Amino acid sequence: MEGKYEFEKKFRDQVLRCSSCGFCRAVCPVFGLTKRPAFNARGKMLVLKEVMDGNIELDDQLIETLFQCTTCASCSEQCPSGVQPPEIMKQVRKDMVHKGSCHPVFEGMNQILQEHTNIYAEDEPEDFERARNKKAEYVFFIGCVGSYREDEATMATLDILDHLKVDYTLIDEVCCSGALEDVGFEINGRLAEKNVELILETGAKAVITGCPYCSRTFNGKPQYQGLKDAGVEIIHISQFLKDFDLGVKTDKAVTYHDPCDLGRHCDIYEEPRETIRKIAPNFVEMRHNRADALCCGAGGGVRGAFAKNSIAMARRRLEEVEEAGAEIVLTECNSCVHNLNNAKLRAQKFKIYTTSQFLWQLLEEQD
Amino acid sequence: MDTTIKQSLEEIVGEENFSDSLIDLIAYSKDASEHHHRPDAALWPVNTEQISAIMKLANREKLPVVPRGAGTSLAGLAVPEQGGIILDLGRMDKIIEINIEDRLAVVQPGVIYADLDRALSPYGFFFPPDPASGSVCTLGGNVATNAGGIKGAKYGTTKDYVLALEVVLPDGRVLHTGSKCMKSVSGYDLTRLFVGSEGTLGVVTEITFKINPKPPLVSTAMATFEKLEDAGRAVNQIMYSGIIPSALEIVDQQTLIAINENTDLGLPVVEALLVAETDGHTKEETEFQMQKIISIFKSNNATTVKHAEGKEEAEALWTARKSSYGVVARINNNLLVEDLAVPMSKVPDMLRAISDIAGKHDVKMPTVGHVGDGNLHPVICFDGTDPDEVKRVQEASTELFEKVIELGGTLTGEHGIGLAKIPFMGLEHDEISMDIMRSIKRLFDPDNILNPGKMGLEE
Ligand SMILES: Cc1cc2nc3c(=O)[nH]c(=O)nc-3n(C[C@H](O)[C@H](O)[C@H](O)COP(=O)(O)OP(=O)(O)OC[C@H]3O[C@@H](n4cnc5c(N)ncnc54)[C@H](O)[C@@H]3O)c2cc1C
Ligand code: SF4
Ligand code: SF4
Repeated sequence: MEGKYEFEKKFRDQVLRCSSCGFCRAVCPVFGLTKRPAFNARGKMLVLKEVMDGNIELDDQLIETLFQCTTCASCSEQCPSGVQPPEIMKQVRKDMVHKGSCHPVFEGMNQILQEHTNIYAEDEPEDFERARNKKAEYVFFIGCVGSYREDEATMATLDILDHLKVDYTLIDEVCCSGALEDVGFEINGRLAEKNVELILETGAKAVITGCPYCSRTFNGKPQYQGLKDAGVEIIHISQFLKDFDLGVKTDKAVTYHDPCDLGRHCDIYEEPRETIRKIAPNFVEMRHNRADALCCGAGGGVRGAFAKNSIAMARRRLEEVEEAGAEIVLTECNSCVHNLNNAKLRAQKFKIYTTSQFLWQLLEEQD
Repeated sequence: MDTTIKQSLEEIVGEENFSDSLIDLIAYSKDASEHHHRPDAALWPVNTEQISAIMKLANREKLPVVPRGAGTSLAGLAVPEQGGIILDLGRMDKIIEINIEDRLAVVQPGVIYADLDRALSPYGFFFPPDPASGSVCTLGGNVATNAGGIKGAKYGTTKDYVLALEVVLPDGRVLHTGSKCMKSVSGYDLTRLFVGSEGTLGVVTEITFKINPKPPLVSTAMATFEKLEDAGRAVNQIMYSGIIPSALEIVDQQTLIAINENTDLGLPVVEALLVAETDGHTKEETEFQMQKIISIFKSNNATTVKHAEGKEEAEALWTARKSSYGVVARINNNLLVEDLAVPMSKVPDMLRAISDIAGKHDVKMPTVGHVGDGNLHPVICFDGTDPDEVKRVQEASTELFEKVIELGGTLTGEHGIGLAKIPFMGLEHDEISMDIMRSIKRLFDPDNILNPGKMGLEE
């Protein structure tokens, strides 16, 4: 059956396949926080069924649920019927934007990326005191959050790459703009082209990204096909670091937060743990880990559009840190670090870093 | 909804705990069954006092109220068939007390089954019913449906563990039933009356459960049978051998075919696969029981018998049973999870009948079940947009239930009547028992405001 909207054409079968079993209640971070069934995948699928049946319109009334999804994919992982809500949400948001129903924050983000080169509309690129756009074996691609919000973490990563004598260069990078696809828009072709061009000019054999989302975008989106065609490999810093032994150790209790973009979306669970286990014999897992890991609440545009809930979701994640008795939380995504740090209460004494940031601290302490 | 009623409700629960937004009305229009109807408003009460005030108001205004846990009911129990208010108890989710000395746990109704299980585990205790929906369903829902699970044969169902209840009646009065004692015959057993009452008599606001020490060790075995009758005989012999397995599950041929068609598990396509589990405190204990079961498997022509060594192997033996729902749920757009139960000796007859009925009406009805207590789950997978198939499914269901009753069975072992099985109530219950049930409903809820339209109570 032909639908009125694009999402029906692509996902009608999946929406119908949702058997309303409700199993996604157990894992949805938005539902876990709010206890409002309209927000979990079942609620969203029921709303879409009514749209497909022609009972309701895709309009502003639906923004609160259809745009309040971190695209964490916990529900897809759990779903007995094989429904993939984040993919459906992304398409539905495009349909909504097409109809003129969009969360103003997302509208703003698209606008910003029309006019600027990064999501924060920062016109001065952050200076990391490193060469840019030179010929090198690797390109290190930082990402917006690492450039403008978590620059200390980025600095530490670059210090490690230097320490390991990696032949890399930075580029005059612009936002990969993959996130636009999550919030109802398309990847910005101008930005994508610029990144591809700059990367290819360096002659690098691989791009190491500091951000798992950029890595997903480069690997999966047609606008970045140019990289694949030229045989440029895309890896995340966690995959790169696992082959090194930096010879440092900590006796602190360390735990690891799986970012959704690296874990459930890319199936990378073990590499970061391999690196951490080498430095932290006292490694503890949180109750929800690997494919079950609880989302930090930042993804899918939720941090921007539903900031209060986003922080509250991060708090729930941090409760598990306390439960596990960890003193250090490591993760592999600047966006997670950012959100978790914003949510951390003063009474919570543990520290939150990216793995490379913590590694660099240990190296510095050792010297 | 009338604005003055809306205002009064908002005053009772606070604005943030009231909604008549479209998205909430849609989300509450359905449970895990095929039934649906939108409510007019949804409330998230946080204490008994609020619920009491809501019920007083609803009673005065003759407004239907439907208590709701996780909405995982498979028979339409939680669907607001006549509109009105959804009372979502999900925010009353505190474990009030775990008292190991008195062997009990006191909880609010919105606590998730798995959360209680996790809280009890450090003490070496558990709450045995173990429904397959345990990661999401609420304890209030478990009480209202008398939920059971794979441990039924040895450990019984929810009803065997409810000691006391706090219930808000349809007129707003707060009733306390039962006691914290392990035994009590003091007056009518009002507690039991509420267990399995499908939210039609009162809103459960606090539950006192008996809890059990959890045997730390299990032994697991799996056997395949070319002939269904052999499996059936094995089950019967096990159940009167003196051994009570902690689980005894069956997977039928249609399910095995479905699993093989949709996964690369490559299971043997036999007429029946049985998985048995025994539990205990020592290995001798679990193995002694398991060896008896295995010898019964063998003497009943099992083609293969596998006995798990470690935890991983045990999990492998459970694969067919535990993956069945996930596979069957993907076969088609619509699912009808049936829940009949028959006396244990009739299990093979029933399984044979299911297979015949499926063939006769050309419907897919893969079946799994808790054979240790005679509870079978044929899962009818169909395309609800195909009117011809829907008709065949209805005919097959009717025939299925006629057969169940003919074999001395019951329409539902653990999911309840709800909306789905109303048409068949008359098959199982005669006019006298329907009359008594209706009188009980009238006694508690003369204006029929609490979960109206369920269980075939309306004349
Ligand atoms: C995939 C799947 C597997 C399942 N497996 C099993 C199984 O193994 N065993 C089993 O028994 N069931 C099973 N079920 C069915 C269902 O999970 C159970 O019936 C469960 O007990 C319902 O709990 P709930 O919290 O979802 O209640 P809901 O579905 O929300 O409500 C069920 C009924 O209880 C009433 N109710 C809820 N809370 C209260 C309260 N506090 N006071 C008064 N009435 C209340 C509602 O009005 C409704 O009538 C399964 C369901 C699914 C989807
Ligand atoms: S788990 Fe999957 S099938 Fe079940 S309600 Fe959620 S989306 Fe639907
Ligand atoms: S992707 Fe995550 S946030 Fe979105 S519905 Fe699924 S579980 Fe909830």
